[in-house]
Amino acid sequence: MRICLYLSWRFWSLFGAAVLLSLCIAHPTLPMQRPVFRYLFVIDITQSMNARDYHQDGFPADRLGFVKASIRQALDKLPCGSEVGLGLFTTRNSQVMFEPLEICGHFPLIADVLDHIDWRMAWAADSHIARGLYTGLREAAALGANTRLVFFSDGQQFPPEPDFPPFDGQPGAVGGLIVGVGGTQPVPIPRLDKENRPMGFWETMDLRDYLPPSALPKDGANFYLSRLDVQSLTRLATITGLSYVQLETPENLARTLLARNLAAERTVKVDIRWILGSLTLLLLLITRLNFSPIGKKI
Amino acid sequence: MSFAFAHPWALLLALLAIIPLYKSGQKMLTYSCLALLPEDNLSLWIDRGLRFLAGLAALLLALGIAEPYLREQWVEKTGTGAHIVLLVDRSSSMNENFSGTYLGGTAHESKSALASKLMVEFIDRRKHDFFALVAFSATPIYVLPLTQDHEAVRSAVLALGGRGHGITNIAPGLAMALGHFSGQPVTGSRIVLLVSDGAARMEPEIAEALRQQFQDNQTALYWIYLRNPKGGKLTEAPKNPNESTTPEYYLHQYFHSLGVPYQAFEADNTKALQEAIAKVESLENRPLTYREKLPRQDLSGLCYGSALICWIGLLAFQSLEVKAWNI
Repeated sequence: MRICLYLSWRFWSLFGAAVLLSLCIAHPTLPMQRPVFRYLFVIDITQSMNARDYHQDGFPADRLGFVKASIRQALDKLPCGSEVGLGLFTTRNSQVMFEPLEICGHFPLIADVLDHIDWRMAWAADSHIARGLYTGLREAAALGANTRLVFFSDGQQFPPEPDFPPFDGQPGAVGGLIVGVGGTQPVPIPRLDKENRPMGFWETMDLRDYLPPSALPKDGANFYLSRLDVQSLTRLATITGLSYVQLETPENLARTLLARNLAAERTVKVDIRWILGSLTLLLLLITRLNFSPIGKKI
Repeated sequence: MSFAFAHPWALLLALLAIIPLYKSGQKMLTYSCLALLPEDNLSLWIDRGLRFLAGLAALLLALGIAEPYLREQWVEKTGTGAHIVLLVDRSSSMNENFSGTYLGGTAHESKSALASKLMVEFIDRRKHDFFALVAFSATPIYVLPLTQDHEAVRSAVLALGGRGHGITNIAPGLAMALGHFSGQPVTGSRIVLLVSDGAARMEPEIAEALRQQFQDNQTALYWIYLRNPKGGKLTEAPKNPNESTTPEYYLHQYFHSLGVPYQAFEADNTKALQEAIAKVESLENRPLTYREKLPRQDLSGLCYGSALICWIGLLAFQSLEVKAWNI
């Protein structure tokens, strides 16, 4: 008791600081809830995705290139701990390339694979969007309950079909987005050879064997045009319980992907050493203050 | 270079370390005849030392809060292993089981599911190997570049277990697989491990170009042929030779003529597939230069620890403080 009286308040604040500091060395953490995301990005790689109708500085003009660049930018914005898998859509199917991987630990690899995605990877040329979307949903469901599907497509159905096939899944069972790619003004579809060299544009006459007579032009020679089919994609979104967004700028994609309703809460251990360290520093600085206790005789 | 701070802004707190240098934090005691006493050098130095110690402690705390760390580093090591490009068939026939029956979408016994499962085990055992992955059906898909990120390779091989689509077209797949090696320095043995259940006719000029690529890149080829038990064997010449009905036999002959190490493993059941993978594993254990990643190292513990040492000194002197002359 005598010793308590003997030692000054400065001693006790330094002592308290030393206790905090010792705690600091034990590396304390607190469990906290943080939003993380688990996405399966499925990208339409059919040829209409080569159409060039984006005009943003520093970004590719073709739809597929713009999608890739936008995803690349969104990856930077997603918090660490989020996972991303990539898949491709063509013909009637979505095919997963790799199951979702944690983005911060595997960033260079994901970026490299994304960079290599190419229309020439398509195993067939048709484009039955609804069936592709349905298989995408099935694949996403197989990848775990928190996996959200993000389906990038221009909605260009080829060959055209009068109606969508029935959806046999449960709407909303797998959450996610349909991202509409392209502009609403019809543009011609570039025709590229196996070496990616331009060979003009797809003309309706090239495709006459696949098109219903009603889609054939009366005058014969003109380009087969493609535009973002908002109507079909929003209808598909309604059928499957996904949300529809239009890809206008890379920033709006990143913002959409960070929406809270797509996140899963996950408990992460948060380092609290900086709090203890700051308190210690504060205590040290307090002992440097000169204030004479009032009413005490020196 | 490899040194960084997690919260660099916290370094501003280091400015606060000046305060203890000017303020000793000692209680001022008045003494009527202070001027009579001679200046004591020892006391002066102890005072300076204490101020310095407190300043140092504050500085170390600021550093600790800023969380310095050494970045992840790659160290080069030599071990045994190989650079392996997995070239895996994803054509629709891979959805069938070995007897050629289609099993439906969720079957676990399909050839692709089995191959994927066994390949994951293979990858898990080969800690030092580099893997790349090309999936092919009508066209090849660039799935992964050569990497030592085994977690990523695992997740990509697991995805191969899903349903495949399209026909088998081997030549472009081989070209893409070899592309992973071209232009790279040879730092270990190179292998293309082809896993497929069939083959297709190859154009002579493409076959010739591939032969050149195999030789240029010094790449060995192993083919795990998932054979239908009723189908023809690679080693037996078919009764009516025809490249469009028995392309496997011709492909096997062609691979033999490549002038690079080549071996085929026929598997018509799970056990044979397992054995084939084990054989490939035993073949490829040559010296390999590989890089290992050292994880990021936290240095803030060091700062807090050093600050604690300063603290012991500060506390010791603080406890010696005289509060008043008349105790």
